[in-house]
Amino acid sequence: MRRWRSLTAGLCGGLAALALVGMMMLTVVDVVLRAVANRPIRGTFELIELLLACTFFLALPAAFLRDEHIVVDLVDQVAGKRVILLKRLAELLAIVVIAVMAWQGWQVARDTLLFGDITSDLELPRIWYWVPVLAGLIGSGIAAAAMAIRPDAERHERSQ
Amino acid sequence: MTVAAVGILGVGLLLLLIFLRVPIAIALAASGLLGYAALDGWNTALKMFGTVPFQLASAYSLSVVPLFILMGAVASRANMASELFQAANGLFSGVRGALANATIGSCALFGAICGSSIATAATFSRVAIPEMRRHGYDPAFAAGCVASAGTLDVLIPPSVLLAIYAIVAEQSLPKLYAAAFIPGFMLAAFYVLAVFAVAWVRPDWVPRVAAMQISQRLRAAVGMWKLGVLFIFAVFGIYLGWFSPTEAAAVAAFVAIVIAFGTGAMGWRGLWQALLETVFTTAALFFIVVGAFIFARFIVLTRFPTELAAWVQQADLSPVVILAAVAALYILLGTFLDEVSTILVTVPVTLPLVLGIGYDGIWFGIFVTVMCTIGLITPPTGMTVFVIQAQHPEIPVSRIYRATLPFLGADLVLVGFLIAAPQLVWWLPKALGI
Repeated sequence: MRRWRSLTAGLCGGLAALALVGMMMLTVVDVVLRAVANRPIRGTFELIELLLACTFFLALPAAFLRDEHIVVDLVDQVAGKRVILLKRLAELLAIVVIAVMAWQGWQVARDTLLFGDITSDLELPRIWYWVPVLAGLIGSGIAAAAMAIRPDAERHERSQ
Repeated sequence: MTVAAVGILGVGLLLLLIFLRVPIAIALAASGLLGYAALDGWNTALKMFGTVPFQLASAYSLSVVPLFILMGAVASRANMASELFQAANGLFSGVRGALANATIGSCALFGAICGSSIATAATFSRVAIPEMRRHGYDPAFAAGCVASAGTLDVLIPPSVLLAIYAIVAEQSLPKLYAAAFIPGFMLAAFYVLAVFAVAWVRPDWVPRVAAMQISQRLRAAVGMWKLGVLFIFAVFGIYLGWFSPTEAAAVAAFVAIVIAFGTGAMGWRGLWQALLETVFTTAALFFIVVGAFIFARFIVLTRFPTELAAWVQQADLSPVVILAAVAALYILLGTFLDEVSTILVTVPVTLPLVLGIGYDGIWFGIFVTVMCTIGLITPPTGMTVFVIQAQHPEIPVSRIYRATLPFLGADLVLVGFLIAAPQLVWWLPKALGI
């Protein structure tokens, strides 16, 4: 189970890293072309926004699987063994929050698809921007659930 | 239930969830959603909940954050820290406290490029503390020096924290970076003075080290070129009109990779690790930003910030009293919250308050950032102190905290200067015409 989590986190991180490299290279090439040939790449702004959404949302499930969200652990000094219970409750709340976010995101994305919204410069369908968002949110929900059902022995210390 | 009561309950719920070990991002989102629904109904609250993550994650202005984090992740793998430390050591060589001051100077510059106080403290904990101990420095003072100097990155441009403040407070990032220059380097200078003060009071903690020869100093100074190049692209490129902040971050990250590969300091494996570290950090950070924006929507709906600002104006309190209260709030929050969460949670409330007494959003950005540097070294959760203690477990954490006190004093002196002479912040942006 731990190995699967590690592999999935690596895959999510790898995809997000490719989007990050794309964001960097697109900007660098745009700057160079603008400086050298006065011919910037059309629609860079919109492509950067798309790649940024990919960078963040594709890496989000990995943040759950790697237990990397920032937590204040002051209560540990007084809670003793009840820390495990608190961790479980926090994991359940995370599933609920992510599930509601994904459900509501799905509704807005469906409207975007129905209305056929497009971007102003490259005329990219707006739904493309929603694909990484929904993939990331649904993936995060599954990741949060996987973390909630792991054995207590695997709930290692993580604090801010 | 009145709007004010819902507001207080919402803030109370947020603090309760945070203390019960709920991840800060989830706590912000959950309390923001419930509060918003209590005031404006579930339909609008749920709609807001579905759209905020999308609006934020594809906001162009946020793209500067992962690119600067990438530049830092590459720089910290490319041996730049130890070269910079040697160069700074050459500069101060022969003076009592030279190694401590070299630590401060190199942490200030490396931290600015690296963008993470924790990474800076961890790096210099390996580079500077053994060197200081080898020359007879008090171990706790050496650790306290690194813990404090590691916090300078949050103020000196290009600072990731200032980039996040710029987004949440809707301020110009180039203007904020320009505004941070003088206070940032003033704080580094105050830290140097704090070292001299300690050397005067406790000379046994800070022994004199033999001076380096001129040729050694020059050789060491050449080692700074990598960070110098990154500074030109990441910071000066913005003011020379070459790039926007996002372009500067992308070009600087690219140049950092080219330098790291060109000098053989990093290979493909190192680059892949730097990329993964960047996206994992970005995900955790952006999720807090998403949660904070949801919570901020609720806070705006309560009209709490505007009513608080109006109440303060009616009460006719002195600006110094108000700023002291705001500073006390940040010191309190800094004892248990990380600096990004502190800024994201509080700025929607505190900014209107400070605007009401005649300061502007640029000044407040610098003020609040300095307050965050204090939070990083104050107990019980001084993060840079913990990082160093983890690597040097033989140094008691209480002694490291005590050793940071002279630097904490320097922080407070800077806060006093900022309040008494806000021109320190406004002068450079004005001189640059931005």
